[in-house]
Amino acid sequence: MICVDLPVCRAIAFVVIILACAVPSEALPDTVVISNERSGNLHFMDRSGATTDVVALCGRPRGMAQGASGQTLFIACSDDHKVIEFDVGRREIVREIPDVPGAMSLALHASSGRLIVSNEGHSSAMVLDTSTGGVLATLATGLEPDGVALSDDGARIFIASENANLVHVYDGESYQPIHRLVTGLRPRRLALRGDELWVSSEMGSRVEIFDLNTYQKDGEVVFAPRGFRVEQLTPVDILFDAQQETAFVALGSANHVVFVNAESREIRKYILVGRRPWGLALTPDGEHLFVLNGLSDDVTIIDVARERPIRTSRTGLVPHAVEILE
Amino acid sequence: MSRCVAVLCLALLYASPVSARVLEITVVSDATEARSEVARQESSQSFAGIAVKVSRPVDRAVALALHESATLLDTLGITTQLGTLSLDPVTAIAPQLNAAPKGSLLVLDLPLSLMERVATEADRLGRATVNVRHSDAYLRDALCLPTLFHTIPSDRMYFDALGQFLVFRGWRKILVVRGPSDQDAARAETLTASLRKFGATVEAVREFSLSHHPDDRDKNTPEFLTGGLSYDAVAVIDSDGDYGRYVQYSTRRPRPVVGDVGLKASGWHYALERYGAPQLNERYRAFADYPRLHGRAAMTDVEFAAWAAVKLIANSVGTLAADVPLDVLSILSDPASQVDLYKGTRGSIRQWNNQLRQPILLGSADAVIAVAPMPKFLHPTHYVDTLGIDQPESTCQLR
Repeated sequence: MICVDLPVCRAIAFVVIILACAVPSEALPDTVVISNERSGNLHFMDRSGATTDVVALCGRPRGMAQGASGQTLFIACSDDHKVIEFDVGRREIVREIPDVPGAMSLALHASSGRLIVSNEGHSSAMVLDTSTGGVLATLATGLEPDGVALSDDGARIFIASENANLVHVYDGESYQPIHRLVTGLRPRRLALRGDELWVSSEMGSRVEIFDLNTYQKDGEVVFAPRGFRVEQLTPVDILFDAQQETAFVALGSANHVVFVNAESREIRKYILVGRRPWGLALTPDGEHLFVLNGLSDDVTIIDVARERPIRTSRTGLVPHAVEILE
Repeated sequence: MSRCVAVLCLALLYASPVSARVLEITVVSDATEARSEVARQESSQSFAGIAVKVSRPVDRAVALALHESATLLDTLGITTQLGTLSLDPVTAIAPQLNAAPKGSLLVLDLPLSLMERVATEADRLGRATVNVRHSDAYLRDALCLPTLFHTIPSDRMYFDALGQFLVFRGWRKILVVRGPSDQDAARAETLTASLRKFGATVEAVREFSLSHHPDDRDKNTPEFLTGGLSYDAVAVIDSDGDYGRYVQYSTRRPRPVVGDVGLKASGWHYALERYGAPQLNERYRAFADYPRLHGRAAMTDVEFAAWAAVKLIANSVGTLAADVPLDVLSILSDPASQVDLYKGTRGSIRQWNNQLRQPILLGSADAVIAVAPMPKFLHPTHYVDTLGIDQPESTCQLR
């Protein structure tokens, strides 16, 4: 709608606002689930950030991945060395996969039912069969593996090793090593965008982008929010919107989340959040971004379209990961 | 045909340096120094055999750093070699240094006077050395050797961290209590400079005495030593770690004690619970080939400095082209070289005096209370450069 005349514009805007207020928006029962490493529990919220439930869970719950049904979450219980499957509706553990040492980050390949788990402290990642709970493969990594990712077709598995400054690439069928990508300091999280692999280098203060056809570095995104020196920029989570047009990056010690144009790789907006943001999730409609603040034990909810924070809500102690279910 | 040969030659040209790249580390120690190699326990003991300072050889930390770097170095086609060199301090140094592989990094685990001699000699030979043991200011200032690097923090960095902490807390009036040695006197001066830099005031500097003689009671009884004036905190300088232990809980006024006792500034701490530090501490304790250490054991600042020196090189080789020979001196001198220190902020080398810039931990006996720089102490370029002698003030201007 193009609007030229100012009073008319105002009138139209007014009517739109009245309509928006009068018509109750469709009830969106999105369930926000937050794993709290230190308090060992899950926080449940609605999309407005109001806590609806707190459930005691296990020792140091960290990485989470949505089950194929959309009703359950796989959750890494690091100190209990296991992965659990948690039914979000019934609020209960439906199964346990034991003997997963130092389970940290998770990625699920929905169509094959395979779950990749990094084993922090054990220099490996496990491929679990979620239908049987069995171990399909154990993949050697560098020290302190964290972020894991799987290509959509399941053909390639990626694991970042924080200490080794490497991303290991494995064949998703044969589980044979394909390549090792040399990254900046302390690679943390991985995000795939077509043939691009985005890697956050927490101590290198940048996001590096690798071309997965050539395994060469194709570019990087560096950050400069106001009032911070370069060493304070410690990016962790990377998340793309559904269209893969925007990348959201949590900047850790720099207390900001950044919106990046994924195509041009240019910074669009820095948004001040809580202390040491790292975990990120989008509501299924893409309207709200949830940012976990690890040092201030809260979550900042951001209006993605307006690029502004709406609300900050308390979480448990040291919130680690957030998933949002429809 | 000729083109094929050329291509082959080119391939060999590129291939040979890759296969030949070796990272060599030599730990240099003093053959005459009494340090407990066998028990790997505390070696500096006070009267009656009570251990007051932990001093261990650095080989465990160096080996750990190489172990951590193995996967990356293997990916890059770099092999490693760890050697030791035990020096005889009474004979000429230069010929002894030649026994270490020519391109190796010399990690100097030596007493102060010998370290200075070795570093000076090595500098003349163009060989890279790392001071992992001595925080003395003059090594970074007056001595100022282009091939000597310092990964252990300087006293000025430790005390700047403490000064920021005190001022941040609002404890601005400081009583300094120091020991009688020359080292105590020099460190008390450094502390005073740090406190003034951040706006604290030194109410008095008082010297303690180890003697129990009644004539010395003003100097040996903490209640008297700390009486008769007003202060917010007591800063103790006691390089030997002896008398100072008795100042806590005995001050005339109920005030916190900081410095060499109480709240201490350190490069590393067993109780740091963020930034991946627990994993590094556990890796150190459980490191294969060495005895398992108990749950509170951690690298000393000296061991951490040795670990950091090796990691600085290993963390920085990934960006080098595969056909560039591995030269430790040029890696250490490169402003772009950096190291993940498990302290929340990466480290790099200050180009003016070869000091590793790094956060400083402020810890009690069982917790890390703060990580300096403290909030609101800002530097125009580098986040951690409010700690230590900054470029404009430094008399050493290497690069």
